[in-house]
Amino acid sequence: MTTLQIKNLSKKFHGSEFSAVNNISFELQNDEILAVVGPSGCGKTTTLRLIAGLERPDSGSILLNGETVASQSVFIPPEKRGIGMVFQDHALFPHLTVFDNVAFGLRGKTKTEIRSIVGEMLHMVGLLSFSKRYPHELSGGERQRVALARALAPKPVLVLMDEPFSSLDADLRTEVREHVRRILKTIQATVVFVTHDQEEALYMGDRLAVLQKGHLEQIGTPEEIFHESTTRFVAEFIGDSDFLKGKVVKDGIQTEIGLIKQLVDLPLTTQVEIALRPDDIDFQIDGSGNSLIIERFFRGAFNLYRLRLDSGQILHAFTEHTRILPVGARVQAHVNTDHSLNIFSA
Amino acid sequence: MVNHLQTTNNFSLQKIKTIPVSPRLLISAGLVALFVAIPLIYIFIRAAGAEVEAWQRLFQTRIWKLLGNTLLLTFSVTTGALIVGVSMAWFTERTDLPAKKIFRWMLAMPLAIPAYIGAIVHLALLRPRGGYVPQFLENIFGREIFTPSPFGFWGATFILTFFMYPYVYLLSAAAFRSLHASLEEAARTLGRNPLQTLFQVTLPALRPGLTAGALLVALDILAEYGTVALLRYETFSSAIFIQLSGRYDRSSASVLSGILVGLAILFLWSELRLQGQARFTQVESNWRPASLFNLGKWKPLAFVIVFGVVSASLLLPAIVLLTWSIQALLDPETLSKIFYTGSQGFSSYVWNSVWSSGVAALIAVILSIPVGLLAVRYPNRLSQIISRICQVGYAIPGVVIALSLVLLVNRFLPFLYGTPLIVVMAYVLRHMPQAVRSSESALKQLSPTLEEASRTLGRTSIQTVFQVTLPLILPGLLAGGSLVFLTSLKELPATLLLRPAGFDTLAVRVWAWAADGFYIQAAPAAFVLIFVSALPLYFLLRREQIFR
Repeated sequence: MTTLQIKNLSKKFHGSEFSAVNNISFELQNDEILAVVGPSGCGKTTTLRLIAGLERPDSGSILLNGETVASQSVFIPPEKRGIGMVFQDHALFPHLTVFDNVAFGLRGKTKTEIRSIVGEMLHMVGLLSFSKRYPHELSGGERQRVALARALAPKPVLVLMDEPFSSLDADLRTEVREHVRRILKTIQATVVFVTHDQEEALYMGDRLAVLQKGHLEQIGTPEEIFHESTTRFVAEFIGDSDFLKGKVVKDGIQTEIGLIKQLVDLPLTTQVEIALRPDDIDFQIDGSGNSLIIERFFRGAFNLYRLRLDSGQILHAFTEHTRILPVGARVQAHVNTDHSLNIFSA
Repeated sequence: MVNHLQTTNNFSLQKIKTIPVSPRLLISAGLVALFVAIPLIYIFIRAAGAEVEAWQRLFQTRIWKLLGNTLLLTFSVTTGALIVGVSMAWFTERTDLPAKKIFRWMLAMPLAIPAYIGAIVHLALLRPRGGYVPQFLENIFGREIFTPSPFGFWGATFILTFFMYPYVYLLSAAAFRSLHASLEEAARTLGRNPLQTLFQVTLPALRPGLTAGALLVALDILAEYGTVALLRYETFSSAIFIQLSGRYDRSSASVLSGILVGLAILFLWSELRLQGQARFTQVESNWRPASLFNLGKWKPLAFVIVFGVVSASLLLPAIVLLTWSIQALLDPETLSKIFYTGSQGFSSYVWNSVWSSGVAALIAVILSIPVGLLAVRYPNRLSQIISRICQVGYAIPGVVIALSLVLLVNRFLPFLYGTPLIVVMAYVLRHMPQAVRSSESALKQLSPTLEEASRTLGRTSIQTVFQVTLPLILPGLLAGGSLVFLTSLKELPATLLLRPAGFDTLAVRVWAWAADGFYIQAAPAAFVLIFVSALPLYFLLRREQIFR
């Protein structure tokens, strides 16, 4: 079943030259987690706020469970949309206890019902014993979980999460996001999750929507987004691609680092660019090789090498962490991959 | 004043909200602005509508003298207050002066003493012929010894400086404290000695606070009536007062008021321009205090200087008033006069003061809420204008408010005339800016996501205001209310001009008795007035970092 439908949504802020959200359309199925990802200023938070009813769209419409909540003629205020939202700064009410924060969205219920729902929610996020505490007595991770419990307590049709982990320390972030994803999947929540972190998006999303400058660049499963990037931007943003120039020939594409055997649906001699991620490249020491090691970054689990081809083109390559080669060494780089590469006409 | 000090996160400049402004909010804020703007506009209308004769007469004779007097006093007191305020702040915040904690309190407390009460005390002490000090010296030496006169320009400058500097002191002390240590350390590593650092880095960084403090002092001097009248130094305010109370010449008064308000608005506007260019508040989580300046052998001298300021502005007035009060209470005749003047007793002055100021504080705070919400949550041209209008009260001296209300009420709301409500209205109009600034700064510190969270959890915008916003900004609202209460208690000229017969407040009684020379009789009322003012001031100061 479709929970959320966005049709041709646009929003421009007063005094701004560009549209924050420009003609975006997508749908979200029941129980699905959609990770909306893009660089800062791409319009992802605005999209979320439009869905929540915290902003009014200029054009386009938003349907929740088939019912229009925002369009040219309709604007349902946020309190009537039945949406749960987790804010970037958590926005816990400082004057209320953890219990009262979680109970805030539960209205028109008896005391007993409220107590049992809040108890259930706090149990779920593992904070049952914290119910009498105030937000300032909690750690960042605990606050995060209270914010989630509060958003989930009224059983919203849709949960919106705006960079919910960005205020947490890096090591805590990984732990909390595993916990949160497990909870969301257990209760089969439908979620729109906004982040600027590609890794987080790949982890959290059943599907990803990549935004840039208000445009929806691509929407699809993490694997589709990664392996079948439809635009150069997506390939660059997800997985940090380098772009190597090439020419379409009979058996594939001729490039500076040799022939890449991949059939392309383009006429011969078309100039193209191939997106190459660090894991697609391999190299060996070779005194007459095609490139030079100009830098090595030790990343713990692996080494990331920066190579410069004779044309000046830069490529990056991962190798195992034990393989340490000197900067300045001449090497022979080549493509080494078992999947097809993303190709864009230049 | 005190609410300038709050320097924390500022959420107001986040993304401009486009969620539609509720028309209710816009209309209520607009109505508040209208209520505040009408008395101001009316003064200009009356001034412009005054007969040409009145203008001519004034221009030929008095205006230039008055203008000179007023500007001269404003300049001298503002300069004096800046020098005293900043140096005191430097001593208590940045040096190893002993007893700093007590000095901080004592340097701020003169805010609870109306300048005219300070003037009464200094007058009693220094008056040529009959003052305690000249008399004492004459008794010792057997002949008249020259002592500086408290009358005239220099007397007014001296006395007003000592009761106005706390504005500058509080703002600059807070600024000194919030200043990042690394800023000065950076200057030192870039080759500046401590003195150069002070003048090239520290003081310029304090400029926004200093400008704000100077503005408050300047506007207060423009509005000051009691002190200048006592010290026989004529300014616009005192001239208007005489026109209104003595000669009853409303058209000259309107002309003078128009010019005075124009002057005040000019000050307000130039401060806005200055501040607009420079707002370097910087709050970082890793704040640490700058290292203290070692006074060394200068410590005793510094102590004497600070103690001298505290004596002139707080200790002397307190001791003198206390002595007089004891004398008054011991003398049955004076005592009976204090408690039964006409049909009114002492308790009724206290009650009148407290209820009129309290009601004014309540109304001002309530009115400030929609204005603050609109200005902070929906920042745009219109909401800025509304907020600015609600802050022009700063620029309208008490005498002008009184004149405007007399004219307006007589014409449109005659039933209000002769009731204490007109006094309350004057307090609200005059002190509204303090409430608006407090509400705005409290709202700016409240993350809008809290309100948004409440909306996504099923509350309407009105419910959100009552269940989330108001409970969270309550301390800020209380602070604004205390400020309005405090300043209303001290208010003199508007109260004198507007009060119905028999409506005596503490301020009015102190003034009336002291003007007739019954200092001893006035002392208990003055003492109670200061005490009642000191309570909200204590609450306000406790909110500030440096007084914890």
